[in-house]
Amino acid sequence: MNTLNLPERWRDAVETVKRWSRINSPWALHFNSGSCNGCDIELLATLTPRFDLERLGVKLQASPRQADILICTGPVTRLARERLLRVYEQMPSPKYVIALGACAVSGGVFQGCYNVVGRVDAVLPVDVYVPGCPPRPEAIIDGMVKLLAQLQAGEKEKPG
Amino acid sequence: MTETSRLLEQAAQITTPWGKSFTAPEANRLDVVIDANDLPAAAAALNAACWGYLAAITGLDRGADDGRIEALYHFCAGAAVAALRVTTPRAEARLPSICAAYPSASIFERELSEMLGVTFVGTPDVTPLFLPEDWSPDAYPLRKDIDLSQPNTVPVRPPPTNGENGKHFIIPIGPQHPALKEPGHFEFSVAGETVIGATVRLGYAHRGIEKAVEQRNWVQDLYLLERICGICSHIHATAYCLGVEKLAEVTVPPRAETIRTLFAELERLHSHMLWLGVAAHEAGFDTLFMAAWRDRETVMDLLEQISGNRVHYSVNVLGGVKFDLEPQHIDALLNGAAFIEERARYYFDLVNHDPLFNRRTRGVGVMTAEQAETIGVVGPTARGSGIVRDVRVEAPYLAYTRCPVEPIVETDGDLAARFSVRIRELLESCRLIRVLLETLPEGALQTRMPRRIRAGEAISRVEAPRGELFYFVKSGGGEMPERIHARTPTLCNLASALILSIGRPLADIPMILVGVDPCFSCNDRTATIHTADGSAEDETWTWERLRRYGIEATR
Ligand code: SF4
Repeated sequence: MNTLNLPERWRDAVETVKRWSRINSPWALHFNSGSCNGCDIELLATLTPRFDLERLGVKLQASPRQADILICTGPVTRLARERLLRVYEQMPSPKYVIALGACAVSGGVFQGCYNVVGRVDAVLPVDVYVPGCPPRPEAIIDGMVKLLAQLQAGEKEKPG
Repeated sequence: MTETSRLLEQAAQITTPWGKSFTAPEANRLDVVIDANDLPAAAAALNAACWGYLAAITGLDRGADDGRIEALYHFCAGAAVAALRVTTPRAEARLPSICAAYPSASIFERELSEMLGVTFVGTPDVTPLFLPEDWSPDAYPLRKDIDLSQPNTVPVRPPPTNGENGKHFIIPIGPQHPALKEPGHFEFSVAGETVIGATVRLGYAHRGIEKAVEQRNWVQDLYLLERICGICSHIHATAYCLGVEKLAEVTVPPRAETIRTLFAELERLHSHMLWLGVAAHEAGFDTLFMAAWRDRETVMDLLEQISGNRVHYSVNVLGGVKFDLEPQHIDALLNGAAFIEERARYYFDLVNHDPLFNRRTRGVGVMTAEQAETIGVVGPTARGSGIVRDVRVEAPYLAYTRCPVEPIVETDGDLAARFSVRIRELLESCRLIRVLLETLPEGALQTRMPRRIRAGEAISRVEAPRGELFYFVKSGGGEMPERIHARTPTLCNLASALILSIGRPLADIPMILVGVDPCFSCNDRTATIHTADGSAEDETWTWERLRRYGIEATR
């Protein structure tokens, strides 16, 4: 919504509502840029009944155009780099990136492999790092909560 | 004479006209050195005699001094492995294709040509399989002298075409699929509703592990190879350990063997349940997806309780295992197995009696036993078509030698059969876990390994959840391996999904693909749909759109 045409006193209210809704129902997009599947199955497990990430309003969403958060798993391979960037560009602002797993955080065991560009923050700005090989579902939830807490505190406000 | 030696003798007889030397490098193996030009004839003879199936093609760079590239065509029948060995000069590496006899060789030949720079004369598909489009056409990652400090890029090569109408496609990044796994990219050609052509492009998750293992030592490689796949990490490590232990002539203590086997069965349980959930999701049956994944947590808890980790449990070390089983673990395992058994019976009932679900699975993606043989499929995909192909049965290893496995086979060959096989395997795995615990030997967990592994080659075959996993390990006697080749089951099964798609309505495609349990799939499987006659604009569909289309078309 373009807030600029609104009267002054409405603008704050609209911003508050937008932030409130973003924090209460962030939509996430999962992108595997070359992981071993370990992180991916743990992320998926996080969404299923035992851990149920959806109770925080987080929905895994298939389209970049509707996503607020990009969850990246794995080191970035040369073939996936281009796609990762395109996905990121297709997401509307403000957008946030979570690097999930040792590979996404640092390149992990795959550092120096010929088809690997490196860690995710060599390609995209990353907001939250969740280490672990793979991170436990609890750690994934914790990473998500930390991101949402930052949004709440207004620390991560990006131009929207 | 045992069955295996009879088979090996037969293989030697079949290849006699071309064989220049016959050797038996280890038990159950036969190496036949032949001339490269005789390759198609020898392969055709093995095929005509129905001797086994093509398990893998391993390429070896023998180095600049030797000046040759060697290729090993491994054929497996039961516990017997016969390899046709050919060499070709490095400077101009050229081999004839064997796709005429073995269509499944196409994918192996594609892999070998880009990794080692061998030109295959007469191979149907020469598009890159793993390497990026901008990879330099004369840099071959698995050659010994490649300089990997360079990026090895060139200006982008033209993207692969579908070969149908010569058009080029640029694949936009589609919506991402929530249901996991490694990315792959498919292209389907359609005439109206019917699929008439299909190709695949892998490599989005290609990290170059087979090269990296040559630059790390034997112990480090264990942890790297575990990370080929997070779903079946234990079985990768097991295959590697078995190969290296064979080379080092080390025998693993029986208790360690049983623990390894036990974890392999737990891995099968969690992998099959994971697959069941994903497959149900593709069919639009999300309740089953959630139920299967909820129940799978029982297995994850067991893995964690014993090893401390849910996914990369890392049980193996060279020479044995890291963890012992405590009495409380045994109780937990027995309870867990009982619970999974009860759930598996319920799923079995569900997938066989739900009418809506059956419309997605019965008579869909039918693969006859003959087809399965020609394509060379492995694992549950083969067993759904009535072929007893299970390494645990054919060539027992570890504790399977003491606790025989009952092969689970269905004969219908359709998707419903593949569902039944995997669900019944849950029951069989639970039974095995109980037997393994009853017969758990006492004793040590590890045998000491030498620092250096003596020079030689070893093959190890194990049954991963998706089928036969084939490892070729070569040591030059140093601290690092000279070559490790891992042929994963998906590489064999993939061709079947492509072939079975042909002639089927588009709506069946998601289920056919997921039916082979491809361990790369999903996540961003965008599919390009283009009409063959050019009557309509080419379209790129996202996986999600294709899935919905499938669900709606069968409502
Ligand atoms: S961090 Fe570990 S589990 Fe995750 S992709 Fe990397 S190797 Fe796999």
